[in-house]
This record gives sequence, structure tokens and C-alpha cells, in this order.
Amino acid sequence: MTSQALPKKALAGVRILELGPYVALPMTGRILAAMGAEVIKIETNKVLDEMNFIPAWSRGGGQPEFQRAKKRVTIDVRTPGGLEVFKELVKVSDVFMTNFRRNILDRWGIDFPELRRLRPDIILMWQTGLGGIGPYYTYKSYGILVQHMGGVSLMSGEEGEPPATINTSYSDYHTGVFQPVAIMGALMRRRLTGQPATMESSIFKSGALTAGPAILDYQSTGRMPQRIGNRDPYSAPHGVYRCQGDDRWCAIAVQTDSQWSAFRQAIGNPDWCREDAFASLEARLANQDRLDELVGRWTAGRTAEDAMACLQDSGVPASLVSQGKDLYEGPHLKAREFFRPTPFYLADRGKPAWEWERAAGVSSANPPKLSESPMDFGHYSNIGEDNDYVFKEILGMSQAELDILTENQSLF
Amino acid sequence: MPFQAPAAGVLLPPYRILDLTGPEGVFCGKLLADYGADVIKIEPPAGDPTRQRPPFIGDRPGPERSAYFLFYNTNKRSVTLDLESSQGQDLFKKLAASADVLIESFPVGYLKSLGLDFESLKTGNPGLVMASITPFGQTGPWKDFQSTDLISLAASGFMQITGDPDGPPMRQGNEQSHFPGAQHAAAAIMGALFYRDMQGGPGQYIDVSMQEAMITYYTDAHPALAWMQNGENVTRVGTNSTLVIPLGAYPCKDGWISAGIITPREWENLSQWMFEVTGNEEILNDDFKGGNQDRAPYNDIITALVIDFTTRFTSEELFHQGQERNLVFIPVNTVSDLLSDPQLEASNFWFELDHAEAGTLKYPLGVFDSDEVSPGTKPAPHLGQDNHAIFGVELGLDENELASLRSQGVI
Repeated sequence: MTSQALPKKALAGVRILELGPYVALPMTGRILAAMGAEVIKIETNKVLDEMNFIPAWSRGGGQPEFQRAKKRVTIDVRTPGGLEVFKELVKVSDVFMTNFRRNILDRWGIDFPELRRLRPDIILMWQTGLGGIGPYYTYKSYGILVQHMGGVSLMSGEEGEPPATINTSYSDYHTGVFQPVAIMGALMRRRLTGQPATMESSIFKSGALTAGPAILDYQSTGRMPQRIGNRDPYSAPHGVYRCQGDDRWCAIAVQTDSQWSAFRQAIGNPDWCREDAFASLEARLANQDRLDELVGRWTAGRTAEDAMACLQDSGVPASLVSQGKDLYEGPHLKAREFFRPTPFYLADRGKPAWEWERAAGVSSANPPKLSESPMDFGHYSNIGEDNDYVFKEILGMSQAELDILTENQSLF
Repeated sequence: MPFQAPAAGVLLPPYRILDLTGPEGVFCGKLLADYGADVIKIEPPAGDPTRQRPPFIGDRPGPERSAYFLFYNTNKRSVTLDLESSQGQDLFKKLAASADVLIESFPVGYLKSLGLDFESLKTGNPGLVMASITPFGQTGPWKDFQSTDLISLAASGFMQITGDPDGPPMRQGNEQSHFPGAQHAAAAIMGALFYRDMQGGPGQYIDVSMQEAMITYYTDAHPALAWMQNGENVTRVGTNSTLVIPLGAYPCKDGWISAGIITPREWENLSQWMFEVTGNEEILNDDFKGGNQDRAPYNDIITALVIDFTTRFTSEELFHQGQERNLVFIPVNTVSDLLSDPQLEASNFWFELDHAEAGTLKYPLGVFDSDEVSPGTKPAPHLGQDNHAIFGVELGLDENELASLRSQGVI
């Protein structure tokens, strides 16, 4: 390949078919699309991905985060005509990925062995909440709950209090960001060995993987992980401290003796810093309650920004607890162009998607910055925006055929 | 290295990946190693500091017994090398010339100060892919800021939405800040290798900021969008949601159960079941019917009724009986629950690895299940166990050279 012909996109020429709602699977599609794969996202106006409506207060401003750079088509795979179009797309795709449970795929007539007959070398990624095989395979689940199965919820929060759960479904992201690794690996393996692969993943398993060393410790000693809030067994002070303003906090983590010296200097070396009670890590750990109170008195007189700057200037690990405003307007992420403007479409259950009004929103960039094949922020298509391209240019269908299928609600 | 087919049953080509990461990036190399890459952990001659991290297997301290080290270094090889000595740097350059990938998480500029930055290394290896996983990335005004897991959780805003609304922002357990950057880096490395070997592209450098990676792990809370559109900061809602009622974690007979009512039909099913069990008609109140946000004004009373219901069951009873009524109750598992879970057992999640010092333990390696490919089953390496194989056999150093490096403390 000559250098002129070299695309800037890592996955140029790879076509991926994505069928499924919510967070994890669409996240996988977004990453692969940003790397240059042609990701065709199948939806239907009749049964919309609920994520088109979130967050409710913005009627869909969240959806570009999950669907950027994809080709979005409307196919009702539950209709015979829609199923046929879907199968035609399978024949011209390298990867099919879905997050529907087996009982639902069966009901719709989507059968993996048949897909493989249609396209013998297709890579299949089948992701569910609890598992596609095994005793829970028919179980309904939601990602925001499945994260609690992974073991980390009971490692978060204060001892004796309810688990300090996070108001999102982080296990979904573990799954969504892992799956591109497996899919790219399978495509390489196919090129090298001629063999396709079927891979079955779940949000449950991705979450359980992050339970981490506690799994080994429990087997070895029978010990359960302890919940210790914001404290750390090897650092003090270690926590978040209230600052001036409403719900403003600065996190501080002093790990080493040299950081403790730097911390003392940064806060003006008040008398209490020189007490024996705080002279060593052991002493500081033993006297944490009082230490936290004294550190809190120092932060209480400052803004979180000032406390952070003062400590970081001295080399002490510290950060304000970022709120949306800090993330969106703060100098660091701005310099890295992390948040970028995007259009979105105001979701309306009473209207087909092509009648939804365009609005202004914001999306995050893809975190990895690749020097030679940068990830594409990408166009954000509305639902069905790419029907003509996909059905006519890829599948070679005529307008007359499309009209019939649209008329009988197969493509709607 | 030539683009080489994986062995039978293995997913990834045997890419040689040099892993210089600390806790910020150790999971990246693990993911790639577990699926077949040849990941070489490069440790200082005294050993990676995490080898000293408690807890230790059987509570007996030792460099081969740290649960942390054993967990995060499965399927890797280990060499020792002093990067701060000039001989160590020369040897590292030879290693880097033979490598496909280098992953590191040092403070910004550290490798450059040793003459081991990407620009220097790629002259000897134009196909090299190098990924840096750092708290704030390689550019921007915060790039040199000090960080830890807690600081990354704070800076990304993850803590802002974790915990009770009346309490402080809370740290999520098990160093969650160390996963998102590592996982994004693994995907980006695969993309870069794909670009090189499937498209004929050059090697490249990858900058991953843990802060940015973490923000993408709570995208559905929309912190930036909420500020941009409404001038509001998203915040903590505690164990139970204030948006979807009921949704959250509730006490039960033997611990905690989580539950979420998303559709009107689910509410019908749940309220009927609660009435059958408790005999309390209050739950059938017409005002409570409808979509999940219609119940927001009655959050407190509904939560109290739900707790009266859930505390009459064990977690397992609610999980399975809920499904019979098309309701989603999900156990809030402990690590012991995970180890005995029949679903994980049935889907090839656990692999028993036998380590000379730590013994035989179950490790979670099967993050996906496949008939065609499966994860590797090598336990974490002993300190420097592959020095001879890699420096001697693969790089061709003779016994005298190895002995000399050893005596000078380079390896």
C-alpha cells in the first residue's frame, strides 16, 4: 500500500452491524466507529432505544455520546421484510453484535448458526446483562442494577452504612470499552487464521472482574473486603474536605513523609502539624479523626480551587471534587478539547424521528489520543438518517423496493 | 515483529508488549496478556512496589504473595531492569527495538529524561506503538499534577455522584480510577496495531488521560450537558435514585438487594406482589401508578413500603421470584457470592491457576466466553523469572554479559 493510499483510520474497510439499546453495546460501537469502522446501528421508530430520551430534562441530549460516527438505519427486524433486510446486511458485514437475550432473538428469528451460514466468516459479539448461557440466561436485567452483582458496591461507603452506590451504571462501561479489544482481536485472528469467532460477554462478568484482589484474599484467608469510606490504610490525611461554597470539596491524599512535609509547608506549618500525634504515618493514621478535623478547618476557609492550587503547587496530591461546571468550563479539559459541541434531536414519542427538532448539546471526545490514526469525534446522525446510504449504496436496493418496505412498516 | 497468527485457541497474535506501568495502567497489560499477547513486565531489580502490597496470601508477607500483584499480572512474564542506569537504558532500547508495544504510566516527561521517550525509541523501531496512561494526560495545565486513586476519583467528578446527598462525596471501592484509562488504552493499542498490521500504517503514540477516561464511565449522568443546558451540577442521590422510583439498594434478610422499576407494567407487578406479602393496601394507591418518574413525590413513603417488603426475603428469593413476575431484583454480591455464583460457573469465568508460592486459586479470567478462543492460564510471574529467556535467549546476551549486569545491579 502506498503512503498516498493509506487511510488515517485504523479500521477503514471494516463493517459492523449493531443491534441493541442502552449503554454498553452502543459504547462499543462508538469506539469502533471512531476508529474508522463503518458501524451500522439498527433501530426502529416503533421500539426506540430508551436512551434516545435521556436525560429526560433534555429529551435526548445524552444520545450523541453513544451513537457518534455511526450510520443509523431504521429496520423493524420483527417484521418478515425487516428481517430479510437485516440478513442482507449480515451478508456484507464483518461483525454482528447484539445485546438481546436469546429468548428475544429466538422470537424474532435471529439465529446465530443461520447468520454464520449467511456469512461464514462473521465475528459475533453477544453481550447480555447476566449471561447469554447458563442458569440466568432468560433473566431480565438493567445495567444500573447488574453493577451491584460485581462485588464493588459492597466495597464502597462507610462501614455499617448502606453501600455508597454511584448514580450511573459503571459496569456497562467496563463491558462497552472491553468489547472493542475482543472484536479487533477476532478480526486480526480471522485474517491470520481464516477462522471466525463467537464471543459471549456480560455486564455481570465485566463488573465481577473488577472486584480485584479481594477475590484472591477471600479464598486465601476468608476475609471480606472492609468498607472504609474515603480513608486509605496507607495514607493520612486521606479524604475529601469541605471548602467554601455549596457542596464544594477538596480531596487530599498524603501518601509519603515527603508529601506530609510539603503539605505542612503549603498550609503554613501551623503548630498542630508539629505535634507528635502527626509525626509519622502510623501516628497520623492513629489520630485520623482529629487530623481530618484540623485539615477541614484549613480547607473551610478557602475555595476548592484555591486549596487544590495551593497543595498542588507544593507537590501534594489534591483535587477539587469536580462538578459539571468545573468539567465543562475548567482550563485543563478545555485545553485538551475534551467536551465538544454537537447537535442532537429532541425526542418525541408522538412523532417519527425524522420530525424531531435539532438542538445544541455537548459530547465528550474519545479519551485516547492516537498520533497517527486519531479517533474521529464524528458526525451525529439522527435515527434513520443513513437509510438511503445503507439500503441503496451498500445493499443496492431501488427506491421502489424501499417504498414497499417503508409502506409495510418493515423499514420504519 | 512480523504479523504472526495466534496459537490455536488464542485470540490475540503473540504481540510483544513491554509493560512499565504502575497501578494506573497495570490492568491494560493484564487484559492483553490474558487474551494471548506476550506481555513482559519490566520491574526494578528490587521488584515492582506492588509486590509489597498487603494483603498477602495466607497473611504471610513476601514478594510473590501479594494478592494485588498476583491478580493484576496474570499471564505476564517478568524481567528486572534498572532503567536509571546507562546499561539498563541500553538494554531497554534493545528490548524496545524488538517490541510491538510499550505501555507506561510514569509522571509526564520521566521517560524523556532517561532518553527513552517515544521519539527516541521509534528511531530504532518505526512500528512501535507506545501508550501512556497518566492521571491528566500529556498536555494541558494540570499535566504535572500529583494524583492518586482518590484524587482521580475527585478530579473526574466520579465522587461527586457517589454517596449520600447529605454526606461527603464518596470514594468508589477497589481503586476504580485504575480501570477506565487502562481499558481505553487497551482498545486504543489494539486500534493502533490494527492500523499498523491490517492497513500498513506506521507505529504511533497514544496519550490516555485517566480523568477523561473516567468521565466516559459515567456518561449517563451527563455532568457537562446538565451544566451547559440547565446551569445545574449533578450530584449524589444516595443508595436510592430520586429519578426512578423505586430504584436502588434495599436491606433484605441476609444483606442487600437492588431493585429497579422502569416500566408501568413492572410497577403493577411489584405493587401487587407487595400487597400479597404484606397485606398493606397502601401500596395499591392509584397515585403511585404510572411511569417511573410519576412516583417521585411519594419517594419516601414508597421506599419505606419497599423496605418492609424486601426485609421479609433473602436476596436469592427476591432475585429468582422477581424474575417469575417479570421484575428485576439483583443481588448486591459479596466476593464470596461471586465465587459460588452458578452463572459465573456455567460461563467459564473462573480459572484455577497454580502458583508455586500462592498455591491454587480461582481467578476471574473469562470476561467473555467463546468456543473458539479462551484466556491464558499462567499465574503472575516470579520476580525476574524470565531474565534468562528474554535477555539471554531472545536478545542474545551471553552468560558473561548477564553475570556482569547482575553483579552491577542492572538486572
